[in-house]
Amino acid sequence: MTTANSDLSDVMQPVARAKGLPNAHYIDPAAFDEERKSVLFANWSGVGFAKDVPNEGDAMPVDFLGVPLLILRDHDGAVRVYQNTCRHRGMILVDEPRNIRGTIRCPYHSWCYGLDGQLRSTPHVGGPGQNIHEDIKRNELGLFEMRSHVWLGVVFVNVSAAAPDFDVVHADLIARWSEFDKPLYHSGADSSFKLDVACNWKLAVENYCESYHLPWVHPGLNSYSRLEDHYNIEENGRYSGQGTLVYRQLEGEDGKVFPDFEGVSDKWDTGAEYITVFPNVLLGVHRDHTFAIVLEPKEQGKTQEHVEIFYATEAAIGDGFSATRAKNTAQWEEVFKEDIFVVEGMQRGRLGPLFDGGKFSPAMDGATHVFHEWVAQSLSAGRQIAAE
Amino acid sequence: MNTLDEALLAAHLAGDNETLVGLYRAAGEAVLARDEVQGCFYLTHAYVFALEAGMAEAEELRAVLVARGREA
Ligand code: FES
Ligand SMILES: [Fe+2]
Repeated sequence: MTTANSDLSDVMQPVARAKGLPNAHYIDPAAFDEERKSVLFANWSGVGFAKDVPNEGDAMPVDFLGVPLLILRDHDGAVRVYQNTCRHRGMILVDEPRNIRGTIRCPYHSWCYGLDGQLRSTPHVGGPGQNIHEDIKRNELGLFEMRSHVWLGVVFVNVSAAAPDFDVVHADLIARWSEFDKPLYHSGADSSFKLDVACNWKLAVENYCESYHLPWVHPGLNSYSRLEDHYNIEENGRYSGQGTLVYRQLEGEDGKVFPDFEGVSDKWDTGAEYITVFPNVLLGVHRDHTFAIVLEPKEQGKTQEHVEIFYATEAAIGDGFSATRAKNTAQWEEVFKEDIFVVEGMQRGRLGPLFDGGKFSPAMDGATHVFHEWVAQSLSAGRQIAAE
Repeated sequence: MNTLDEALLAAHLAGDNETLVGLYRAAGEAVLARDEVQGCFYLTHAYVFALEAGMAEAEELRAVLVARGREA
């Protein structure tokens, strides 16, 4: 890459003096390539959901920024992520979601891999009817496994394999939300939707982190969730977002509410929090449900938001709550759709060459600044490695 | 041989591993005594499709191939 690196020094200043990330990080393909490597691959990024592979042998191929991945559930019930590429001639192994009954058979020359990634058979590799050869060492030719971790229903992957463990990186956040770190229940299509937005993935994070826009962009939400009832969550170098003190549970026709997470403390009676797990996973927790949004950067100016809503108990995903669930999904979908014109508008705004990253409100934009600073730190770390 | 080819093709198209295993196994066993290469070729196919489908029969087929130095 020959493009000069963007200047990040202003981004690293304290919020009162800082500017946002320069335009290049939204509109210059070179910057997108740099972020792909230094931000999205070097850290723990969300690539999918554990609920999409519920049973042993379930396998789901995922394209993560051009890297073919295979998420699957192994014999021990654990979620594993492999590179979806055969060790022989590099064929894609699994093209669409399906259940693997025994082994993954490559569709090209039928090398077979176990759910544990081990190469189990290499038919005719030594000539017709001869399936062994001294130069084909099966124990060295298993599937490449990616580092992965499941938290709050999301499958995270560290493509570079160089980041510290997920539970080390996110120890504080895991502790903060330990009351929700329990089995989550997903009801299927009625709690799942995707939104395609014409903006860079970071704008979706930036907008999610702050509550400043609520009264203007979500007037309906604001009627029961006022600005002064929100607080900023700003943990430099780790995570950011917002919390509310006035969460009200959704009621069904009959006045029934979703059951709570078992043992959830009073703090959450009317509390809820919305935090970004940097770089690309937006999470929300409430006494009775959580949601997760995995931002899939499709292109520099195109992002797909994969939204999944999870409940605290088995009962909540039963028929008794189907109408209330539909209402909850519709409500969140409406809120997230209300945000589309601003994230897309900010994307277009960044084509203005005089925009300088913008001026943060020290009182209201701290969470966005924490994210930008974190991105800048990841970029700087990548530049340092490249320079060595 | 023609009907075997047709049956194999149909099973391949249907992704019907159980049938593929049966057909390839029978074909392999039929020629194994007089033509080891051809026999093991078919038995390998039976083995691979059994392995793919997680059929218990895979172990039996593997044992036959291992005994002839053709599988690990
Ligand atoms: S490429 Fe997979 S077996 Fe040849
Ligand atoms: Fe919003």
